[in-house]
Amino acid sequence: MRHGNLTYEDVLRIVELVKSTSFSEFRLKVGEIEVHLRRSNGALQQPVAAAQSAAGDVAVEAAPAAHGAARDFAPDLVLVRAPMVGTFYRAPAPGAAPFATIGQRVEADTTVCIIEVMKLMNSIAAGVRGVIADIALENGAAVEYGQPLIAIRPDAGDA
Amino acid sequence: MKRARRFDFVDVTLRDAHQCLWSTRMTTAMMTPILGAIDRAGYAYINILGGAVFDVCVRYLHENPWPRVKLLCGRLETPCDALTRGQSLYTFELFPDDIVALNSKVFAKLGVKVLTVYDALNDNRNIESSVKSGHEAGMKVNAMMTYTLSPVHTDAYYVERTKELVKLKADFISIKDPSGLLTPARGRTLFAAVVKAAGSVPLKLHSHCQSGLAPEVYEIAIESGFRFGYTASEPLANGASLPATEDIGARARRLGRRTALDAGALKEIAGYFRCVAEREGKPLGEVARYDAALYEHQIPGGMISNLRSQLQTMKLEHRLPEILEEVPRVRQDLGYPIVVSPFAQYIVTQATLNVVQGERYKTIPDEIRKYALGYYGRLAARPADEFLERADIRPADLVTERPGEHIEPRVPRLRRELGAGVSDEDLLLAAFYDKPLLEPLRDPTPACAFRTTPLHELIRYLGSRADIEYARIRFAGTEMTLST
Repeated sequence: MRHGNLTYEDVLRIVELVKSTSFSEFRLKVGEIEVHLRRSNGALQQPVAAAQSAAGDVAVEAAPAAHGAARDFAPDLVLVRAPMVGTFYRAPAPGAAPFATIGQRVEADTTVCIIEVMKLMNSIAAGVRGVIADIALENGAAVEYGQPLIAIRPDAGDA
Repeated sequence: MKRARRFDFVDVTLRDAHQCLWSTRMTTAMMTPILGAIDRAGYAYINILGGAVFDVCVRYLHENPWPRVKLLCGRLETPCDALTRGQSLYTFELFPDDIVALNSKVFAKLGVKVLTVYDALNDNRNIESSVKSGHEAGMKVNAMMTYTLSPVHTDAYYVERTKELVKLKADFISIKDPSGLLTPARGRTLFAAVVKAAGSVPLKLHSHCQSGLAPEVYEIAIESGFRFGYTASEPLANGASLPATEDIGARARRLGRRTALDAGALKEIAGYFRCVAEREGKPLGEVARYDAALYEHQIPGGMISNLRSQLQTMKLEHRLPEILEEVPRVRQDLGYPIVVSPFAQYIVTQATLNVVQGERYKTIPDEIRKYALGYYGRLAARPADEFLERADIRPADLVTERPGEHIEPRVPRLRRELGAGVSDEDLLLAAFYDKPLLEPLRDPTPACAFRTTPLHELIRYLGSRADIEYARIRFAGTEMTLST
């Protein structure tokens, strides 16, 4: 440390000293600069600002273990199952009419719900022509791979 | 061919550098104390805004991005450059032409001098309305094309894109290499071809450092006749960020170019940001080692760690190696989208679905189907038949018009909803975000200091440490005491 101007290099050196010591008192006198610090308990603590994760901006939400209480379905019903771990949506947008309601007729290619997987939306088709018999989950429920979502009573000869 | 005798710099410290290294979490208050030095450093342009910066300001920093733009443009005499994703602006959805045009108008009003614009598919129809409205608002336009590795992204492909950009009357053309995939060998052929096709339009290089090769690639660009390089202050350079201004400046001078850089100011900026990193607990950029795997899956490191934690929550972590192997196959099947947002996410999610379901393309996310239909723009190559068949896409379904064409104007409706007195800035925010996200925005700008010294930064550092209850500092005849 030269006398005269305090430089950023000097500051960083002082910071290093402060970080690398765990004394409750800290006195430094070099040239024209004198620093005297006292720490609360001598234990080294982190600066107030917490280090943020560098993992990018995509938040990862832990899927709550909502298994939508295992239900039994009549053996003649066709079950639409979740293709992946994800989130179940009954409607294309918040507040919009649901894709399917109980009693509704559907074709094989009718979209009956959406499963969000890793931020992307997957329209799930009925897969069979028939009538919606049951909807196993609430909107927004977390689903496991292969979990039944919707039960359809297929038209005769279509199952 | 006459060689450029001068090489100039575009600073990315306030934008892409912290986007890559600090998860875009640099606040306005962290920038303002050092703006004076940044202005003296001799940069040709300062890049202050990009898609992620705008979005993180709103979602995570709860700062209104518009006052930041105005403040930086007002404080900096060096002309400011702001980047958008073309028709998608700051997000990944498509916006109508009237919103794009209003955004250009607001930029110009707030003092932005250069509008930088790119499209993640390199479909230049997606930047047409930005270029046009940018010029009408009196800004220069820097059009970027994104570099990637694939059998279809040849030098000839980039020459075609360059010709399109010349025809669009771009004032600058940039090559953007978001995953740091360029090598000196490829640079030699690609840069020469693009310089020739660009004619009198000056070229800029914007390459990240994941492979560790970027500084050498910048040398090739300088030798090939590029006029500008995007760089960052040394503590925020390298790694996933861009090369250091100090390093590229030295290389340019060794290659016989003049630069306008001021070593004293650069040193001051670097010292300041090292102190900020200390105080805020943020990492410094480290020179990345060459990693051949980067060239295969092309997935940026940040994204792999993100995928790993997503798989962990799904208890599928053990499938990661298979998924990474499936990634290049999916990319090929999808017609070689560039591995950047949002397409990187498409590729990774489809690869995960293919592996976990044990059957390829059994489930195809709606966004991927829309992409394959051409809804977001022209694909680099035709998707594989296997994929098209499973997605049930027939030639008659394909979207061939410019994506902006199929989006209804939104400005009149928003003006009606928000009232005639609404500012253009607020109208745009309402077009981009739902109301609950906009409510916590701090407006006006948070308290900022516009000067600093090393002593200042020492005091701020000590003040930020929860464990220091008393500090006395004496320096050059002044003495101060801090205590809690």
